[in-house]
Amino acid sequence: MTTGPMSETVMKPAVDWRRRVLASSAEGDRAVIARLSLIVLFVALVVIVLVSLASGASDASVTSVIASFFDTSGIASALSVRDRIIIWDIRLPRVVLASLIGAALAVSGAVMQGLFRNPLADPGIVGVSSGAGLGALSVIVLGNTLFAPVVLILGTFSLPIAAFACSLLFTLILYGVATRRGQTSIATMLLAGIALGAMATAYMGMLTYIADDRQLRDLNFWLLGSLAGASWSKILASGPFIAVALLVSPFLARGLNGMALGEAAANHLGIPVQRFKRIAIVTVAAATGASVAVSGTIGFVGVVVPHILRLVIGPDHRYLLPAAAMLGAILLLLADAVSRTIVAPAELPIGIITAAVGAPVFLWILLRRRGIVDL
Amino acid sequence: MIVVSDISVFIGNRRIVQDASFEANAGEVTAIVGPNGSGKTTLMRALAGDLRYDGRITLNGHRLETLKTWQMAAMRAILPQSTNLAFPFTVREIVKLGLTGGRSGAAEHELARLPEKALERVDLTGFGGRFYQELSGGEQQRVQLARVLCQVWRPVLDRQPRFLFLDEPVSSLDIKHQLIIMDIARTFASEGGGVIAILHDLNLTSMYADRVIVMNDGRVDCVGTPTEALTDARIRHVYDCNLKVSTLPTDQRPFILPQSAVL
Repeated sequence: MTTGPMSETVMKPAVDWRRRVLASSAEGDRAVIARLSLIVLFVALVVIVLVSLASGASDASVTSVIASFFDTSGIASALSVRDRIIIWDIRLPRVVLASLIGAALAVSGAVMQGLFRNPLADPGIVGVSSGAGLGALSVIVLGNTLFAPVVLILGTFSLPIAAFACSLLFTLILYGVATRRGQTSIATMLLAGIALGAMATAYMGMLTYIADDRQLRDLNFWLLGSLAGASWSKILASGPFIAVALLVSPFLARGLNGMALGEAAANHLGIPVQRFKRIAIVTVAAATGASVAVSGTIGFVGVVVPHILRLVIGPDHRYLLPAAAMLGAILLLLADAVSRTIVAPAELPIGIITAAVGAPVFLWILLRRRGIVDL
Repeated sequence: MIVVSDISVFIGNRRIVQDASFEANAGEVTAIVGPNGSGKTTLMRALAGDLRYDGRITLNGHRLETLKTWQMAAMRAILPQSTNLAFPFTVREIVKLGLTGGRSGAAEHELARLPEKALERVDLTGFGGRFYQELSGGEQQRVQLARVLCQVWRPVLDRQPRFLFLDEPVSSLDIKHQLIIMDIARTFASEGGGVIAILHDLNLTSMYADRVIVMNDGRVDCVGTPTEALTDARIRHVYDCNLKVSTLPTDQRPFILPQSAVL
């Protein structure tokens, strides 16, 4: 804590238009912009959800989609049974899943960054997603043999629970290795993340040798990150974990804001830091684990979304977390639309798209804030 | 009132503070002085509840261990030596974090403008929209003080005095702002609160402190008024530095010129 101010090396967010808009409210108070952004994001999300529901291989339109929501009799409906099935059993699950996972990835990124006091912390980058993948893969491959009793007891929840348990374990290891006396070393965190990721990948590699052909095909698609095969049963298995994590996250906002000053200062402000950290870690693990269990590792959403939002509305987590949830959902819905159409009638795994777009953005973040990783 | 009885603080296996005892009263500025590595900051971290210790510390009659985080936050606020931020907060956003606990004691109608008022007190009027990370070290230090002031805006709340713990509050400030900040401490105490400040400047200590705790090698060497604490013999023995303490003709307060040193 005795190091001097690092005003030279830390990012310089000097954007003039923002200052001009800010001048309208109390100087330096970005609450107005933040609230406006929340409204804009919400409207955008609704529009994109409706458009996603209305677009696809069949010709059902937005109006008929909306009509189908209000008309449950099924007789007066202009929609045929076929359209109804397309919308309710194919498009809607996919839209819901994409939104849930986009929100989960973005929020778990934002929470992790606040917890580690580091804008580069993201479950995908520091190995936590790989950990979740290892958990899920173990159940997929060993579910009939070694883990058969577990699968018998937990049923459809065994996949998300295994992913959750492993990502929790990985987060705890990461935190234990990278944090000493409330100070997280960025270098140690990234290096520990590399080691953890490599470890998980190695174990996953071993598991693929045990897997049979059918499992292998599933695995390959899943490892790249994909929303294909979205169904209500998948949503029911993973959705509760994500929903709980998303609902808990607003209660972490105060703690995350305090943590920006450092762990000791957060404690001095009256935040019960130990309890806060435990809840935050479990939240990240639940959101990451559940989304990896359904869709594999979809990278970079968790680091890119919060970063973009911090540039516009600032780092106040009371606004950042809900905004991240909505922007994450929006981006994943857009990416999903691209993944379905770019190589139609085939489908590109969505993880390829988020990585193709997200990785360059990540590099751009590094370029702008090189100071924080210069060790 | 803060009562410290026979506390020892270990970091790892090293005993940093040994059998320290003193009292810090509301209405007074208590200065902790001593050479580098004498255990001042460790002592303050124990007072803040950050470190485990052997012995007994009470804050307004409550043992520190029995207080919850939020209860402590309502009784004392702490200014660290320096604070680096992970994210680009504006100055106003940082100051407003002082209101997190919701026990500033300011009236409802004051609350909305409290960050501006606090910034005005530390002579940073108009800095609310600036980014914290773009400020100089001294300015950052004053922003943090404004945040800390927001936390305990009224020095007395529910008839209980509140405390400011300041760890080297003026170390990176120019002379004018050193005086402004020390005046804030003085005012806080005169309005019924208590201040404990770690200081390196013995002249500011003499000017502003009611009580001086001299730390040496982890032990409390002396507790007393500036006149009692700052003597030729003590400074020679604690700082290992031959300095001549002089007194102002007006009020007998001691002052020390570094020019008088014979090393």
